[in-house]
Amino acid sequence: MVALLVGMCPGLDEGLLRSLRAADIRTVEDLVSSDIEDLAQKCSVSYKALFAVRRVLLAQHTAFPVSGADLYEELLSSTAILSTGNPSLDKLLDSGLYTGEITELTGGPGSGKSQVCFGVAVHIAYHLKQSVIYIDTTGGLTAGRLLQMLQTETNNRDEQMEALQRIHTFRLFDVCALLDCLYGLICGRGRGACVGGGSVKALIVDSVSAVIAPLLGGKQNEGMSLMRQVAAALKTMAKDFSVAVLVTNHVTRSGSGEAQPGLGVSWSHVPTTRILLERVESGASGRRSATLIKSSRQACLIKEDFDLQWWSRAEGGRGGGGGGETSGKRKLDETDP
Amino acid sequence: MKRPVSSLSLGSSLKGKLVRAGFQFTTDLQDLNPEHLSAEAGVSQQEALEALQAASSGHGVAPVTALELLQKEEEFRSIVTFCSQLDEALGGGVPVGKVTEICGAPGVGKTQLCLQLAVDVQVPAVFGGLGGQVLFVDTEGGFQVQRLVDLAGAAVRHCSLLAEDEEQRVAMTTFTVETILSNVFLVRCRDYVELLAELHLLADFLSNRPRLRLLVIDSVAFPFLRLHDDLSQRTRLLQGLGLRLIAAATGHNIAVVTTNHMTTRLHSSQAQLAPALGDVWGHAPSIRLLLRWEESRRLASIVKSPGHMDASVQYQITYQGFRDADQSERPPSKRPRSQTDQSASSRKNTGT
Repeated sequence: MVALLVGMCPGLDEGLLRSLRAADIRTVEDLVSSDIEDLAQKCSVSYKALFAVRRVLLAQHTAFPVSGADLYEELLSSTAILSTGNPSLDKLLDSGLYTGEITELTGGPGSGKSQVCFGVAVHIAYHLKQSVIYIDTTGGLTAGRLLQMLQTETNNRDEQMEALQRIHTFRLFDVCALLDCLYGLICGRGRGACVGGGSVKALIVDSVSAVIAPLLGGKQNEGMSLMRQVAAALKTMAKDFSVAVLVTNHVTRSGSGEAQPGLGVSWSHVPTTRILLERVESGASGRRSATLIKSSRQACLIKEDFDLQWWSRAEGGRGGGGGGETSGKRKLDETDP
Repeated sequence: MKRPVSSLSLGSSLKGKLVRAGFQFTTDLQDLNPEHLSAEAGVSQQEALEALQAASSGHGVAPVTALELLQKEEEFRSIVTFCSQLDEALGGGVPVGKVTEICGAPGVGKTQLCLQLAVDVQVPAVFGGLGGQVLFVDTEGGFQVQRLVDLAGAAVRHCSLLAEDEEQRVAMTTFTVETILSNVFLVRCRDYVELLAELHLLADFLSNRPRLRLLVIDSVAFPFLRLHDDLSQRTRLLQGLGLRLIAAATGHNIAVVTTNHMTTRLHSSQAQLAPALGDVWGHAPSIRLLLRWEESRRLASIVKSPGHMDASVQYQITYQGFRDADQSERPPSKRPRSQTDQSASSRKNTGT
């Protein structure tokens, strides 16, 4: 609903505006959807003038169609694929996180969602040398763990510090603060990292369900609307600024005990790709299995096993080989060359 | 990109009136004064002022780079548990600024560990502790002052044996059983309403007591077990509770420790013990410790942590409190927490 204001188009002057207000026409929608003849009589304005104003307003507020070829060209030039750093996950995601899309990781507690987010942030900050924005709503962000992951990539302290400086973190614990933060990034008036600057290529929100789930259900009616606002803000960031968005979600158990992603059916349309992480019961402590449950590019329900220790592997060794170690991660670092 | 008015943190009826009057984006509200807006939208002067303030402010906080976060984390010490193997697995002890959950079957030692942490947080800084106070929220009635006196006495004896230089001896004069007891604030909550009310008042309590470094809730499961007939309300209350605890932990730099019961979960015709309150609560704590029996040994396992590997260590509970297994005969020299040792362990943390 766009308000009618003076000067919006030639012919819409103060006098016309006042007579339209008197006839209870306040917005462009009201004007366009009402009967012009009737309105001209009620407001004692000429039919032609009103018709001209209506035509200009329609032209100003219509969406333009774009040809498929132009859209394809634009997509080719603006989309980038960011590898997650773990080859098994990349295989599931069709070689990585696509900019302009929202990818969701879902799983129960302790299934490794935050670890994958850390690994992705470290990989993008160090190997791809791009800025990453990390919004943490669970309190689980540990900079020491990010440093551990960086230490397996390089021994050079300056490079580690430089990579850490490319990860910008926000710690928020309610949905209004999250919306403020997202819109602050979009409009570029927030101090610090601005998405429009071009260097930010990834936005990670861990987790989006922690702030939205308490608002759904019961007698509260604002929850769905706020969820849609968050979805709209994330989609705008992804599409308009060519950013890859990675969010995490919790799981709920359906009647038969199966794990389903949380936040319901309304949220399920928001991410383009969804991966379910689960613990592997037998096997070493770091093993997890990832299942693709929604994708527009690959066949669904592909399953891949991977090791959380991939991001803290010793140099030159595969993560699978390190799965047998149950000693602390810090001990693993000390034996690095 | 313009920000829609419906995403501002205002009352829903006010937002509805603004949208119906045609103000869809915050840019529409920018150059108006309150009288004009209240006339246009049919709202009161007060509400118009509120709407204009919300539209012009609210760009969120500034981001913190991961490097600054790392420096802040290195400043904070962890709370030792006096079981050196568990402390090593946890990278120094129970971390400050995070929510840790201790789950286990009845009688395995959850309340004992909570009492031990309530004493350990008060160890003076010269000995490597935090010198902080503790708020103990007891919902089950398991808090026993006599036991706390025993643990406090053992800790004081341990530290007085370690005191070497003048500074430490001076610190020992303020670290006595009486002062330990006076730094523990006990609250008894009988049902979930009292627990939620106590947490509502937590922010004020914390701002009046800047030395508070530990919040123990023993247990968080007990008051909610009675809500089994309205599970959706229980879920919402637990999620809100979890968020509030995490916000308190990070905002005021305290360690939050909660205890949880175990429940049986049927999984493909096999009965397994799993922490109670479901997956919904499972997402709230950052670190989860599982205490369990294995034949006659007691084991503590880390089952969820953002920064540590899954590990299992053995512990035991003696007259002196929570200790390493088969350590009761050795002289108390296992944790000489002098200053040089603390800097060595912090260097180890950064991996250089």
